[in-house]
Amino acid sequence: MRILLRVLVETLIGLKQGGWSNWLVVSILAIALTIFGGVLQLTITLKSVVAAWGSQLEISAYLKDSYDPKVVAHDVSLLPEVQFVEIVPKETAWKELQSAFKVASLANPLPNTLHIKVSSTEAVQQVAMQVKNLPSVENVRYPLKVAQRINEFRHFLELAGFAVTAALTAATLTVIGNTIHLVIQSRHREIEILSLMGVSPSYIRSPLILQGATYGAISGLLSMAVLWGLHAYLDPYLSEQLIGFAPMLTHSLEHSLAQTFVALLILGVAVGASGAFWTSGRYIKI
Amino acid sequence: MIRLQNVSKNYGGRPALTNISLHIALGEFAFLVGPSGAGKSTLMRLLYREEMPTSGNVFIGGVNLNRLHKKQIPLLRRRLGIVFQDYKLLPRQTVFANVAYVLRALGVNEKDVDKRVNSALCVVNLDDKGEAYPDELSGGEQQRVGIARAIVNGPPVLLADEPTGNLDPATSLEIVQLLERISERGTTVLISTHDQPIVNAMRKRVISLRNGEIIADVDSGVYEVGSTG
Ligand SMILES: Nc1ncnc2c1ncn2[C@@H]1O[C@H](COP(=O)(O)OP(=O)(O)O)[C@@H](O)[C@H]1O
Ligand SMILES: [Mg+2]
Repeated sequence: MRILLRVLVETLIGLKQGGWSNWLVVSILAIALTIFGGVLQLTITLKSVVAAWGSQLEISAYLKDSYDPKVVAHDVSLLPEVQFVEIVPKETAWKELQSAFKVASLANPLPNTLHIKVSSTEAVQQVAMQVKNLPSVENVRYPLKVAQRINEFRHFLELAGFAVTAALTAATLTVIGNTIHLVIQSRHREIEILSLMGVSPSYIRSPLILQGATYGAISGLLSMAVLWGLHAYLDPYLSEQLIGFAPMLTHSLEHSLAQTFVALLILGVAVGASGAFWTSGRYIKI
Repeated sequence: MIRLQNVSKNYGGRPALTNISLHIALGEFAFLVGPSGAGKSTLMRLLYREEMPTSGNVFIGGVNLNRLHKKQIPLLRRRLGIVFQDYKLLPRQTVFANVAYVLRALGVNEKDVDKRVNSALCVVNLDDKGEAYPDELSGGEQQRVGIARAIVNGPPVLLADEPTGNLDPATSLEIVQLLERISERGTTVLISTHDQPIVNAMRKRVISLRNGEIIADVDSGVYEVGSTG
């Protein structure tokens, strides 16, 4: 207990000696953590979007105006794996659109649409191709396709995001190393005396390691604040978009945000402490 | 208590100590003398394991320092009191805090710290200077703080490397007499110095080093300028 208090006091002195480089360390680490947390949160979001969306067994087929939707619907319903076909006439779609948004009254630009329910995820793509090849069908759209696109984008995002995080973490380790080295140099004499008096190196190093961990914790909190701000700003917009097809999603995102925060704090403290651990081990020898 | 067996120490091929064998018994008081560059500090550094011998063995209290694991070095040093020519006091800490530092770092409770630090300060006659800072003290007083710090843990061995090197003759004599008083309480004391009058005044064992070799080792001896250059 008493030892803990002494270590804390030494840590505060170390932070004082850190001077402006404290801010350098904290800001670089906070940026690294914010990017890491942002990417993590974004990929989690995209993953759940893809999961919720991609599992929907529905294909939308947009028909050419010259064909009767009822006839096409009948043809489509005869295809294997098709369970159910719903016709959305262009007039209905247009009215919905007009009531949702204040669109100027122009000629209805929308096509007649079929909503085709398929029996399994595996069949979605196959049925979609068959429907698309019908002469009456202008185009098809199905969530799986969008989901695949999103997945590709997510993989890219993960790769890029984590590469940037790794680079920034390396930079952070260097800056923490320099800062701790600075503190060690300014305490050079004191450390030499303590070592000669038989104070163990781990005791001499512990305030420095705690100093690194403090940087990590502060950076973690900063990045949380930034991400929380972003979340609060984007959330109303996002929920509105998402709630339509995946009501459970927003709830699970709140949950994952909390997990991301815990991860940021742990990562920040781990990076800060290990940077300090490594540097102090390198420069404090008996 | 202190034993060296055929100890040599080279720095980059240049010998600083050559084939030193030496025994200092428990409770003994000895001077290590010789001109600057003779190897006194090197020998001291071998004793507190700041350096390792190039060859030969160093024993403290029967423990072979060559076999000492890195992690055990702090334990060795806690059983040694070390006094330096430049005092090596922490300038930002009071006299009391300087002496108390190691005890506190070891987690000794504040009541015992108080008792032991005050008793050590009493031994060196500085019990009224606990709240002063090192730069408010004279050289002799600072060295006495260094000695109080060295003995606060009750070490069986006290090593002092040129403890009077920065002090005037009268103060130097006081310091060495203080170290003698400490040795009378059962502590083995080894003092390195090239201060001839002090050594001659004490009539104690004198181990003479020159160019890294022992050239004389006599009880109740004097430091003869002729034999050490
Ligand atoms: N760290 C070192 N590196 C290289 N040479 C050293 C080192 N320490 C001491 N020496 C050399 O070893 C010899 C003995 O030095 P030292 O033990 O300091 O003598 P003394 O303390 O008797 O004046 C000297 O020639 C000195 O130059
Ligand atoms: Mg010397």
